[in-house]
Amino acid sequence: MSLRLILAMMLTVCTSFLYAQEKTVSGVLRADDGAPVAGANIAIKGGQSTTQTDAQGAFKIRTKNGDVLEISSVGFVTRSYKIVSDDPINVVMVRSNTELGEVVVVAMDIKRNSRELGYSTQTVSGTEIQSTQRENFINSLQGRVAGLSVNPTGGNAGASSQLILRGFNSLSLNNQPLFVVDGVITDNTTMNETSNGGTGLGLASDRPNRNNDYTNRIADINPIDIQSVTILKGPEATALYGSQASSGAVIITTKKAGTKRVTVNYDNSFRTQRVTRTADVNNDYGPGANGVGGNTFSATSGSYFGPKYPADIRRYDNIDNFFRVGFAQTHNISADYGTKDVGFRLSGSFFDQKGVIPNNDFRKYNLRLTNTVKVGSMLEFTPSVQFIHSTNDKPLRSAGGYLLGLYAWPVTNDISNFTDVNGNKQSIFSADPFSEIDNPLYNINRNKSFDKTDRYIFTGGINFNPLSWLSFAGRFGYDTYKSEGFTFYHPLSNLTTRGQLGAQDNYWRSYYGYNHTITGTARKTVGKWSGRVMLGTMWQDYRTEQFAIYGTNLVDSVSNVNGQLYKNGNIVTDANFGTTVGTPSDSSITRPATRVRLLQNNLGRNNKFITRQSAYFGEAAISYNNVAFLSYTHRFETASVFPKDQRNYNYPGVSLSLILSDILPGLKKGGILDYWKLRSSVAGTARLSDPYKNQSVFVNNFASAQTGAFSYGFDNNNPDLSPERQTTYEVGTEVRLFNNLVSVDIDYYNTYCYNQINSQYRASYGTGFVLNTANAATARNQGIEVVLDLNPIKRENLSWNVRFNFNHMWSKVITLPESIQQEYYLSDTWLYLNARGGVTEGGPSTTITGFHYERNKAGQVLISPTTGLPVVEATFTVIGDRNPDFMLGTLNTLRYKNFNLSFLWDLKVGGDVFNGTDMYLTLQGKSPRTADRETPRVVEGVLKDGLQNTSNPTTNTLAVNPFYNTTYYTTNALTEEDFVQKDVNYFRLRDITLSYALPSRLLKKATFIKSASVFATGNDLLLFTNYGGADPSVNGNNASTGGVGAFGFDYGTLPAPISVNVGFRVGF
Amino acid sequence: MKYTKKYALYSCLMALMFSMSCSKKIDDAYLNPNAATRVPVESILPSLIGSLVGSSAAAGSAYGIAGDALWIGRYIQYWGTYNVSTVANLGTQFDQMGGASGSSDALGTMWGAHYFGMGQNINRMIQWGTEEEKWDFVGAAWALRAWSLFENTNQYGDMILREAFNVDLITFKYETQEEVYDSVRVICHRAINYFNTTGGNTGKKFAEADAFFNGGDINRWKKFTYGILARSYAYIHNKSIYSADSVIKYADLAMSVNADNATCKFANSGITGTSNYFGSLRVNINQLNTGIRQSAYIADLMSGANAGAFSGVQDPRRPYILRENTNGTYKGTIPGKGAGTLPAGDQPQSFAGTSFGATGYTLPESGRYIFRNDAEFPIMTASEMQFLKAEALLRKGGNNAAALTAYTNGINLNFDVLNTKYTANVPAALQMTMTSRNAYLSSNAVIPVNASDLSLTHVMLQKYIALYGWGVQETWADMRRYHYNGDTDPVKGTVVYANFMPPSGGDLFANNNNKLVYRARPRYNSEYLYNIPELTRIGALALDYHTVEPWFSVKP
Repeated sequence: MSLRLILAMMLTVCTSFLYAQEKTVSGVLRADDGAPVAGANIAIKGGQSTTQTDAQGAFKIRTKNGDVLEISSVGFVTRSYKIVSDDPINVVMVRSNTELGEVVVVAMDIKRNSRELGYSTQTVSGTEIQSTQRENFINSLQGRVAGLSVNPTGGNAGASSQLILRGFNSLSLNNQPLFVVDGVITDNTTMNETSNGGTGLGLASDRPNRNNDYTNRIADINPIDIQSVTILKGPEATALYGSQASSGAVIITTKKAGTKRVTVNYDNSFRTQRVTRTADVNNDYGPGANGVGGNTFSATSGSYFGPKYPADIRRYDNIDNFFRVGFAQTHNISADYGTKDVGFRLSGSFFDQKGVIPNNDFRKYNLRLTNTVKVGSMLEFTPSVQFIHSTNDKPLRSAGGYLLGLYAWPVTNDISNFTDVNGNKQSIFSADPFSEIDNPLYNINRNKSFDKTDRYIFTGGINFNPLSWLSFAGRFGYDTYKSEGFTFYHPLSNLTTRGQLGAQDNYWRSYYGYNHTITGTARKTVGKWSGRVMLGTMWQDYRTEQFAIYGTNLVDSVSNVNGQLYKNGNIVTDANFGTTVGTPSDSSITRPATRVRLLQNNLGRNNKFITRQSAYFGEAAISYNNVAFLSYTHRFETASVFPKDQRNYNYPGVSLSLILSDILPGLKKGGILDYWKLRSSVAGTARLSDPYKNQSVFVNNFASAQTGAFSYGFDNNNPDLSPERQTTYEVGTEVRLFNNLVSVDIDYYNTYCYNQINSQYRASYGTGFVLNTANAATARNQGIEVVLDLNPIKRENLSWNVRFNFNHMWSKVITLPESIQQEYYLSDTWLYLNARGGVTEGGPSTTITGFHYERNKAGQVLISPTTGLPVVEATFTVIGDRNPDFMLGTLNTLRYKNFNLSFLWDLKVGGDVFNGTDMYLTLQGKSPRTADRETPRVVEGVLKDGLQNTSNPTTNTLAVNPFYNTTYYTTNALTEEDFVQKDVNYFRLRDITLSYALPSRLLKKATFIKSASVFATGNDLLLFTNYGGADPSVNGNNASTGGVGAFGFDYGTLPAPISVNVGFRVGF
Repeated sequence: MKYTKKYALYSCLMALMFSMSCSKKIDDAYLNPNAATRVPVESILPSLIGSLVGSSAAAGSAYGIAGDALWIGRYIQYWGTYNVSTVANLGTQFDQMGGASGSSDALGTMWGAHYFGMGQNINRMIQWGTEEEKWDFVGAAWALRAWSLFENTNQYGDMILREAFNVDLITFKYETQEEVYDSVRVICHRAINYFNTTGGNTGKKFAEADAFFNGGDINRWKKFTYGILARSYAYIHNKSIYSADSVIKYADLAMSVNADNATCKFANSGITGTSNYFGSLRVNINQLNTGIRQSAYIADLMSGANAGAFSGVQDPRRPYILRENTNGTYKGTIPGKGAGTLPAGDQPQSFAGTSFGATGYTLPESGRYIFRNDAEFPIMTASEMQFLKAEALLRKGGNNAAALTAYTNGINLNFDVLNTKYTANVPAALQMTMTSRNAYLSSNAVIPVNASDLSLTHVMLQKYIALYGWGVQETWADMRRYHYNGDTDPVKGTVVYANFMPPSGGDLFANNNNKLVYRARPRYNSEYLYNIPELTRIGALALDYHTVEPWFSVKP
């Protein structure tokens, strides 16, 4: 460092000291509705000093009396404020009615004036997201955006969530939106366990996404780094993003480095969590069958049909004793430093969660550095680097999980006695450890699952504005992570078998994603006409690699007599497991001959999925007098997942926006109407499948051969596959009334998804294969969204804002592959007995299909004349529809002086849920619906005696007493139809947060503290529902399942617990 | 200005290079790096050979003739179930000549073999073999296509032909059996043309790839192909287009010595796929409900107990292909009735060597004949060709001496093959000797003294014996074209299949509506779920569809 530079720096510091002799003035900026105005720019007129307001609208600035502050913020009328005293400043900012300044980030960090958008968008501020204290930020979006639904997998720490915008368009491909952070596409994959016989990614054990969960990767993003999230719901908005955004896009803008002196913010949150919602169980009856006592405890059905427990029998509250009080803490720290042209922001976060399920520990570290550099007036660079490290000790879920065992555990047995003196599994009745379901504590403590991820995200932005009418922008992103994890099944767990002797499933996954977008924009205004032409190019290159091993036979044998394990002649106990067998996590503890790997892994290589895509796109926009806007976009894409002939495709988009209130100024007379906009857009888009879906592959053939033998696998991966296509149009209007007291935004959309890529559906073997892939199905998806904003109170010390987000959606499957006469389903969703996410032609895309009762033509249930029990028809027909009638999110924001209270009610009306948990409990004799088993009854219906379809069917009069006839509670007489609960409603207090900003005068003495506030936040505190199970908001699959997935399938999944968070924020 | 032009030129060049490199990168990413989309043709052929009998692959197994043979063998009374059971789609239903019902894939393994097991694999072998000028592989692929097409139509009648293997189609039209027969012949001649083509890369790796079928011998492949033609002309004796000369011509061109027999061999390396479908490792022939025991018809026929054929003659081949009982005699099951009234001592052992009522297998394996892990499984034999020729000569008339010669050859060839290949586990005391063999052949009941006394009954029942166990589909075709016990032998004036008693009355399956079985329904999980419109069109949804006579057996 040269001497001159050091001198210059010292001089700068001295100058600061000179300024420091002036006074510090603090203040708060509020909008006319009372909301704090964050991120506003405050500059001293004619001076050098500038600052910005924080999330509470607070700021501090060095100044002196007589200075004039210039205060500006996007969406508000710029105003000046003269300093006359030392008192704290309270400034009210007036919203700019003309909406001129309101800017929305659309494609690839491109900002557009909201007036000109011909489609609907909704923005949620980072402050709002952070205030919910949810570490997976997408869970905070439910209810805050019309047409957005979040389907969390369950209440585990680190659970994945499926995010859906405007319903389901594709029946088999991914319906989740694209995530874009600062103009860079960022990965949100949830690991899919299916590897299609080792040919794909996933686990070597090739499981169907039902028994475990992996975080959806966008949850790696640190909520405190989010400035705002803009939701682009339809493909119109995403004509510029390409096919990955055909289900919409979530545009995340992060906080940028402020150009000011050093500021430091710290905040924390401490959370306790409790399980309050579990399924109801009936504990009145003991083991046995047909009312006769027995001593078996089945893993699947028929356990509790013996006599009633004696009244004085000792009972244990196993369910409550099982769960623990969850505790989590978050510490966030961020620091800004900047000069006029260069700024840095460093943020870090530590999150540590002990989930409500024992041994479920989730931990995450985030570190992010961003930089802004301005070079002259023309050039700006905005690089950033982010590091995320997370680990998760996970419980198994659903069919292999602890929860079903917990529900089914005998109330007379203390759950905590799960091991014998040697640490081996303690069964209840049987010496055979595999005959009974695992004690849930045994399951949690002996079966292990773990994930670890290290992720780096690099983004770079360049803005180059060489001429007043010409600008260029480049956005470059490199996103990479390595994950590894395992699932370990203890040799005595009933999730393995005596023959398997334990199982170990390991994976190593790496992701490398690069993408860039470069655009050039030219603008020209002639009189009242303005025009804009943009040309751009985009390159995307994503590679995922996976290595996976599955093996069994961790020990050599298990004794028939006492369940003793042996390895190399030694007795294996829990204490010596590590020395006799090895570490549960190590893939080498299995017997080598049993190990299965993904195909390329056998050759020492990783299996790979590579998708590359290049695109050229353009936009031509013209506007008249800032009141009428017409834009046309077109995108040309080339994607590597399709064969050469089908690889190039393109699609257009047109949008129109008219500001009627300005075209016809007379409308605004009378003070009623402030603003009226009409908008419409229509666009096409395409959707890609996973790579290699069009290349049939050879698998091992075990024929007698000297040269090795291969034959085709089951799948007809159609070589003529082309992209799935989609056309959407939407019309909408936006009205603001009574001086912005009321604003309404209404939207109707209609999406037609055709040429759909259906994979793995069955057809005649005439294709030469068993399962097929083709462009076949078509479906239409429509909906109405209404956003209503009310500002009933707007005073300086008191304000109240209510926002309603309403949506009503409906869909129709128009055609399915011609061979599918009954139903089309994704096999992942067939998770318990015979109900699954099947769809039929003419029905909605959200139906449940399953077994049902045989009925006569009049719809009466047929009863067997020999048993008096209903006759089950073992075919799949529609037995429910998961689509709700409507969803309504209501967000209240109240402010009184320094107090802020906001709470979000989430209402769902209608929509069916398959309560598989209750079906399991019914078959086990544990459901409350078996409580009246001693009451004899006659099942309503008519006898299947040959007369059932005549005009005189025989009404059933055969009485059955279920207590003596356990068949009543088996799948011979019960169908999945019984367990689809119709029209499930809920009204849920999703988030409530109260915060108090310490008044400036309190902080006056500690001048180094700029702002401070304390808060308390509750999540999921209240739930009012008619649902018979614990909570209808669970998902039977994890978020990696494509198509509609398994939301509305409740089977052995713990719902979200209730949480209370407290913490404080302080700014220096 | 000069500079501007230069920059413009550079920019354009850079843009062009950039877009070219993108396009190349996209090309590079297209192909599947995880699993093979193309394999050498020499590694496809073994899988096709495996699919002749009963395949085993990561994508399904048991495609081939052996699986269905377990059921069809009951129709033709080669064997019957020992454990009488009314459970749907188990033994008794097929003993009673029922078809597959409900959602069962029984009788669907040949459908699976033709369309899936062999299907596209044959297509690729043809395509890539042609590209690589490996004409032997191309010929073998066509020959196997002809074989599976022919086996498939004989079993199912109408089938997908023109639209087959079109990966873009979702439902498929059926063609008539007459068309399939024509196609089979066209394809056979095409195969022979390729077998006659030399040059290119012919002769490389073919012998290794074909090690377990014809040992790479093109002449044997040709003979196998001619044999398919011979069968195809023979099976249409009810049709006006029947030409005995064609049968004779192609039977003569086909295998004439046992060394030329088309048989599948098994490496028997200890995994199921490399062992015989009827062996102990694959656990198919001796299970509860599906276990098979020789029928009374075959036992009586070979024991001189059938008054209408070979009466009074003890066949020395019995200990080879059948099993004794504890009394040392040969008796068998009655369709649908298991052992019937047989006393325990008369009840035959299973083919696995266990007692009549026992399931499972012994170690070491005690099965005989084709019921062993490493036993060769015949697909077509010289003996069969001699019987086809003898039958055609009889039908043509005028040369009974030649017919008798062919007939005698057929029996001798069968004796030879048993005596050389299938002696394993046959007790030494029971093995044939030249004496016992000559005694049998010198019996007038077997070989008539006068050629003019040779009857269809002689030929068809010796063929019935010679094809026992492996030629189940061919024997079923024979019995259907003679309408089981319907057609009369013009020489003897009695039923061709002497004293064959199909189940009748209450012993005939309920769905049959008093008709005998004449075809199998197409595979359930292929057609009955996913090709309904076409099944509706051809009437295959009727519960008695399996009783509809196929084109080849219908008399004009």
